Amino acid sequence: MTRVPKPSDHLWPPSARPASPGSVESLYPFIYQGATDVTAVLAQARASTIAKANEVMDLRAEVGARSGEALARCAAEAAARFAAGGRLLTFGNGGSATDAQQLATLFLYPAGRDPMPLPAIGLASDPAVLTSLSNDIGVDVVFARQIAAFGRPGDIALGLSTSGNSENLLRAFDEASRRGLVTIGIAGYDGGKMAELDGLDYLFIAPSESIHRIQEAQTTMYHVLWELIVAELGSRQVRA
Amino acid sequence: MTAGPSATVTNPPQRPGDAGGADRAAAAFERRVGPGRELAGRAGEIANAAHAMAVRFHQGGKLVVFGIGGAAADAQHVAVEFVHPVIVGKRALPAISLTSDAATVTGVAAHEGLASVFSHQIRYLGEPADIALGIALEENCPSVVGGLRTGSDLGMLTVALVAGTGSAVEGQRLDHLLAAGSADPLIVKEIHVSTYHLLWELVHVFFEQPGVLGPGIMT
Repeated sequence: MTRVPKPSDHLWPPSARPASPGSVESLYPFIYQGATDVTAVLAQARASTIAKANEVMDLRAEVGARSGEALARCAAEAAARFAAGGRLLTFGNGGSATDAQQLATLFLYPAGRDPMPLPAIGLASDPAVLTSLSNDIGVDVVFARQIAAFGRPGDIALGLSTSGNSENLLRAFDEASRRGLVTIGIAGYDGGKMAELDGLDYLFIAPSESIHRIQEAQTTMYHVLWELIVAELGSRQVRA
Repeated sequence: MTAGPSATVTNPPQRPGDAGGADRAAAAFERRVGPGRELAGRAGEIANAAHAMAVRFHQGGKLVVFGIGGAAADAQHVAVEFVHPVIVGKRALPAISLTSDAATVTGVAAHEGLASVFSHQIRYLGEPADIALGIALEENCPSVVGGLRTGSDLGMLTVALVAGTGSAVEGQRLDHLLAAGSADPLIVKEIHVSTYHLLWELVHVFFEQPGVLGPGIMT
């Protein structure tokens, strides 16, 4: 198939990023046709907000229908690894770095919830490590080097990217796969280059052209993955 | 290979219990439907908050974002969203997260208490034209409410993203209260992510219409 260049969440300057269809102008065409009355603009903003809220609901439903079974299989494998002493390593760039951080804290300290804490390390949370690797070697290695340092064969590597094209994620998955970690990717669009990786064990895609809607559906996917993992660990305890 | 929709690159053998996992997954996605629908019902409140934020940016203000626990990650997400927009051609707008400096956060928490971690930073970093955006995965987070109150005292615009109905923080002199309509912290976060993405999008819509922002100093 012919691969259409996709906007990327990590390439900047953004010469490769098309301004549409994700541009604000394309999202709010009426506003850019010259309305300047506050009431009219607010009314259009409300209408557009309702459309976006419905869009992410539809995307969530689509992702649930397409990925539900695979998420359950992935959760079963991750639970088995946690039960055997494995840890979760999470990584991503920009907004996805904050998702990696959210995932790590959700596993490590599920505040106000019953489930047991599980070992998880966010690889995008330490500015000293990130800036030293970026400065001395390059941003492409910031996650792969940490996986080489921390990763053990029974661990779980989970990376998030909206484009699926982030070079530092691709390298991290390669490193993790080589070391025997199970690898989980969460991407948008059509999965980008992550869909071409031989060593990626699971790939979950939020099929949208909007970076924002992709991130919103990805958040639900990794939250559901956590829910399924703790449920799986719970039922293991019951069986044991 | 050709990327299929939600492709699973490898398919581990089916094992007993898979059907249970798939059912659990379906139920988990289903739990998101109601709160997602409620988000659309708050479109007017979101548009009003975004308009007020755009006015502050237009007047030279910056966005100051903060939250506890998982919401600390959201604060950083919001800051990078405004400073380095993902959509080409959108200008960088000034935004800082108060959760990223672990030295200050832990230092203030140890000596003044966790409830002061944001109010302290806002007292020294906040300016009257600024926006205080507090994000909480619960209905009433003392650290976030404290930060918003200090921001309000300074004359900052205050915007709160909270869990539940928001009734617990009514009366806190909040200019804009955006409640997620759920008490489940995971679903609350998912609604918050959509909410702050929408705020960013709408701020740019308003910001590029200077006629709707009144007199400003930013060009």
